Amino acid sequence: MNILQIKNLTVEIDKILILKDINLEVKKGEIIAIVGPNGGGKTTLIKTALGLIKQYKGSVRILGKKPEEAVKTGKIGYLPQKAQIPKNFPFSALDVVLLGLINKKMDKKEKIELAKRYIFFVGMEGFENHPYGKLSGGQQQRISIARVLVSDPEIIFLDEPSTGIDFVAQEGFYDFLKKIRDEKGITVVMVSHDIGVVGRFVDKVAGLNRFLHYYGHPRGFFQKHILERLYGSDVELVIHSPECVTCEHFHSDFKGEK
Amino acid sequence: MIELISIPFVQNALIGGIILSVLLSVLSLFIYLKSWSFINVGISHATFGGLALGFFLGLSPTFFGIVFAVITGFLIGYISRKGQIHEDISIGILFSVSMALGVILITLSPNYNTDLFTFLFGNILTISREDIYILAFFTVFSLAFIYTFFDRIMYCCYNEEVAYVSGINTTFYYYSLILIIAVATVLSVKLVGVILASAMMILPAAFSNQIFWHYRGILLLSIFMSIVMVVAGIFVSFYFDLPSGATIVFLYSSLFGFAVLIKKVLQKV
Repeated sequence: MNILQIKNLTVEIDKILILKDINLEVKKGEIIAIVGPNGGGKTTLIKTALGLIKQYKGSVRILGKKPEEAVKTGKIGYLPQKAQIPKNFPFSALDVVLLGLINKKMDKKEKIELAKRYIFFVGMEGFENHPYGKLSGGQQQRISIARVLVSDPEIIFLDEPSTGIDFVAQEGFYDFLKKIRDEKGITVVMVSHDIGVVGRFVDKVAGLNRFLHYYGHPRGFFQKHILERLYGSDVELVIHSPECVTCEHFHSDFKGEK
Repeated sequence: MIELISIPFVQNALIGGIILSVLLSVLSLFIYLKSWSFINVGISHATFGGLALGFFLGLSPTFFGIVFAVITGFLIGYISRKGQIHEDISIGILFSVSMALGVILITLSPNYNTDLFTFLFGNILTISREDIYILAFFTVFSLAFIYTFFDRIMYCCYNEEVAYVSGINTTFYYYSLILIIAVATVLSVKLVGVILASAMMILPAAFSNQIFWHYRGILLLSIFMSIVMVVAGIFVSFYFDLPSGATIVFLYSSLFGFAVLIKKVLQKV
């Protein structure tokens, strides 16, 4: 069953073509990574799928509905780029997670118990009453993930979720995504720059730069002609991993020159 | 002081001031979180054009002030959400036009018998019993709305797009909040004036956030300090024959500056 179906999607913003003829199908329980260069339309694609961008040509169906209808079901989770959340928002970590239960008809005590369970699930127990703004980047992401998960979504959209998390922690983060998919059957669609890392954790990669240059298994993605089409010519791919003993630095996953 | 409190217009000023303090300090939390201070300044200045039009036509300035404030608020909100023109530019143009229109209409007005200064900086002598009833009714209505939908409004402040994806009708809460802020601005003109009305919706949360990080602490301290500052400002302005709005805002700003200074010093210690 396709939980997300995009057909012939074209998006123009202020007369600038952002996405052209995108066709994409995501099945229930899949983990999808949308990768591509900056300005390639990755965030625009997920915002269109979520109904946040309403002007487009083509067809978008999520949970079998139009995006603006689908969001009303409360079955969609969204984690935007980290910079979009106010840094010092006057909430505790628990308050942030409770936002995810805003549509649930439960009493306050039950909501708090459930929110605490998810804080434990993301490994943040003991931080319930900490100021959200004082948590580290990685801790804030975990709490935000708990907010997304506590609402019991069928599909979640994550926009660059590993931003602010160091390389080693990223590995744990992607393992964590697999865990929630395996345990809860949640479909995950994420935007990422870390093509080397996501290649090992996702079911499908969508290579996007205005056009969808590739959509399929990660193994097929790492081919010179596909990467050249996506990022430009003369691409050099350098993938670092914890097993790579010769690598002194983990600061660069990908090097591309036009 | 007891003699002073027994004077009817001082009573009106105190009652009106305390009701306003509660309303404006609660609104200040959302304005602070949404970084709407400039939107708020735009609305308060635009109010002047409406008040002047009311005077010019010999009709209710408050009514026309509310109409102008609401229209300006919705226009700024619309432009801000659409993002087609930079909101700073649109706000700057809108409130300048409204202020210019206000000055021209006030000057041409055959009914012009009120000091322009009163509109701009407030005058506690002008608060009537009728004003208090309107203010009390509006405050109860607004606070009931905010109390009922507090979690949803806070979700919109946290991130409007995330709230929308969670099924929240963000457009409804956005414009409801702007509507309440616009009307509250007009109702606060007699106390603090159009120039300073926005300060009373920015200072409370900005000050309280220097002391508390959690929204409950910010809200409670905002309400308490606003009441203290407004009451103190009314007495000081009465004793020294100063404009009430300027006195209240000066006292509050000084307190804010002091709080920032103390916080900086404590962080260094």
